[in-house]
Amino acid sequence: MSVAPEDPEDPGASRPGARPAQADAPREGRIRGWLRALLRLTSLRLRLVTVFALVALVAAVSVSGIAYWLNRDAVLTRAQNAALRDFRETLGEQASVLPEESSCGDYTGMAGAVARNTLDYQVVLRAEPAEGGRICTAESDPAVFAYAMVPDSLVEAVNDRRDGDGEAAYHLYWQRITVDGDPYLIGGTRVMGGGPTGYMYVSLAPERDDLNSLAWSLGIATALAVIGSVLLAQAAATMVLRPVQRLSDAAQRLGEGKLDTRLEVRGADELAELTRTFNRSVASLEQRVKDLSAREAASRRFVADMSHELRTPMTAITAMTEVLEDEVDNLDPMIAPAVQLVVSETRRLNDLVENLMEVTRFDAGTARMVLDEVDIADQVTACIDARAWLDAVELNADRGIIARLDPRRLDVILANLIGNALKHGGSPVSVTIREEAAAHGASTVLVEVADRGPGIPDEVLPHVFDRFYKASASRPRSDGSGLGLSIALENAHLHGGDISAHNAKDGGAVFTLRLPREPDLPERQPAGAESRPGGPAEGEPG
Amino acid sequence: MSRVAFLLLIEDDEAVRTALEMSLTRQGHRVVTAATGEDGLKLLREQRPDLIVLDVMLPGIDGFEVCRRIRRTDQLPIILLTARSDDIDVVVGLESGADDYVVKPVQGRVLDARIRAVMRRGERESNDSATFGSIVIDRAAMTVTKNGADLQLTPTELRLLLELSRRPGQALSRQQLLRLVWEHDYLGDSRLVDACVQRLRAKVEDVPSSPKLIRTVRGVGYRLDAPS
Repeated sequence: MSVAPEDPEDPGASRPGARPAQADAPREGRIRGWLRALLRLTSLRLRLVTVFALVALVAAVSVSGIAYWLNRDAVLTRAQNAALRDFRETLGEQASVLPEESSCGDYTGMAGAVARNTLDYQVVLRAEPAEGGRICTAESDPAVFAYAMVPDSLVEAVNDRRDGDGEAAYHLYWQRITVDGDPYLIGGTRVMGGGPTGYMYVSLAPERDDLNSLAWSLGIATALAVIGSVLLAQAAATMVLRPVQRLSDAAQRLGEGKLDTRLEVRGADELAELTRTFNRSVASLEQRVKDLSAREAASRRFVADMSHELRTPMTAITAMTEVLEDEVDNLDPMIAPAVQLVVSETRRLNDLVENLMEVTRFDAGTARMVLDEVDIADQVTACIDARAWLDAVELNADRGIIARLDPRRLDVILANLIGNALKHGGSPVSVTIREEAAAHGASTVLVEVADRGPGIPDEVLPHVFDRFYKASASRPRSDGSGLGLSIALENAHLHGGDISAHNAKDGGAVFTLRLPREPDLPERQPAGAESRPGGPAEGEPG
Repeated sequence: MSRVAFLLLIEDDEAVRTALEMSLTRQGHRVVTAATGEDGLKLLREQRPDLIVLDVMLPGIDGFEVCRRIRRTDQLPIILLTARSDDIDVVVGLESGADDYVVKPVQGRVLDARIRAVMRRGERESNDSATFGSIVIDRAAMTVTKNGADLQLTPTELRLLLELSRRPGQALSRQQLLRLVWEHDYLGDSRLVDACVQRLRAKVEDVPSSPKLIRTVRGVGYRLDAPS
């Protein structure tokens, strides 16, 4: 609702400087937010995947491990038992057909006979020949299996005579050894009745190969299980996180003020319940906001209506009091004071109504600014001049301090501060205007209003800006409405400024008004809207 | 010296109407009153007043509409009387062609001062003329022509153009213009100037949205340039 909307050069339309930086900050923040959200989601996904993979790994490894060990045991034992049983039986058979007085040659023959078996083991026989002499060693295939390869411990065990347990004096012993990286089984026993000692040697490589291929299969199965579980976890995470993501998006939209955001409820799980809760909360929030804005609108309407309703009769009365005032000299001396009283009280009532309406507008948030570039010193001079305060005010100000503000509101502030100083502190009141550099390049205009009075009592100082607060003892009922300083403060706040009060060292109250030279009011650009009553400044000079 | 002004007061509230009529009459004006916009428009045609004081809140057609209807045919000064000081009121009022506004409860003296200031805007002062591009300002006849055709300007618009043309090439601040044209004190509402400049541009510029004659000087105000 600008009055100069199509003017491209309008000063109100441009606010150089601050904008780009302000625009950058939210974008940066948003990117950081996204990153954080991504990280958070990724980590949740990561955690899910890790847990799934770990569970799958532990399960697969333990199952495979147990399966492997059981298998290995079974396969080896079976192969071993078959070979040993065969060896024993064959050895027994061959020993029984051995001649009574056998020679080394017989033993060699016997070794060859025993080694001729389906299980493919080699045999070494050791015996003392009947004719005496050296112990002879008969090897079925010396290239494959020589007596030297038999471990000493096995030899010892085989030759160990066990008389304790009744069954047999000698037992069949076996041992697994590794030769050139291949596993072998060596077994040995002594043929009963002074027979030869026989050793057998069989390769376990086929069993080893079987077990290896089993281990490979189990390993591959484990890997597949882990991969499968990871994929499953991904899918689960996606399933779980998609609604979470939707909720997050919706919450963000909500944060941007789109209160009509609702989510489609899918399924009946906990997330659906969460979605329902979200929808319910948003709906109640929307209702609450709607109620609040309705109430706000009603209060704004009330302010406008009240303003109209109060002002219409006030207009008639004000116009009439002027007529009465002009005629007061011609009136009956008995009546004249009554008329005087009506006139002056009407004026007070007028001020009070204006002040009350101003305060109501502040409370309803409908107070608007009409900004213009003004010279502060000129404004102060004009304010003093208009109220015939020139003799009572010492002005310390340089011209040329230009600020962008609402001249009427500045006048309200100044009139209230200076008027208050004159009323309570007595003249002369000194007004000092300074410029002060504030943070980030902006500068502040400082207006100090100091009086020579007794100052403000310490217990009153915190309340000087309160509405209708009157320091009763030291400050008798004045013609002020009790709203002046509060309105001044609200006006300063509207500009993004402030007013503070303190007592000077040499007595006297000092009110300091701080106003930014460029009020940061983007939504109130340009010289747009305002409420323009006569203003709560303390009346006209005459 | 100013002659007796003939005013038309359009106000629905009887107490306010009576009080203001009495007050203005005592200030030396001749006043006729109307209670509704329709009556006011009828009186305007019948009696040809010099100036209209118009209440915004009227039963039937409201003050803004009355203002717009008057502006279709007449350029006489209009002062709005507004009780609801909402920003919308003032801006809409100024856009519908009002010259000035006062806020209720208005003091009779203030209203009188505004009326006299508006009335003075139509008074001629010198006898020269000036040319700015296709615009010729004849200060003797108090007329402005564009490409030879008469422009219908309200006294306020004319005064604004005269003040600007008196200082060609020099930027005048809104507050300066308020003092020169509206005779407002230092608290003048700068939107009066903006609204009037918009209306003036609509009449004198070839393309009102890209003004060549009345330029905005950022941070200062307005300036009248002779198009080069």
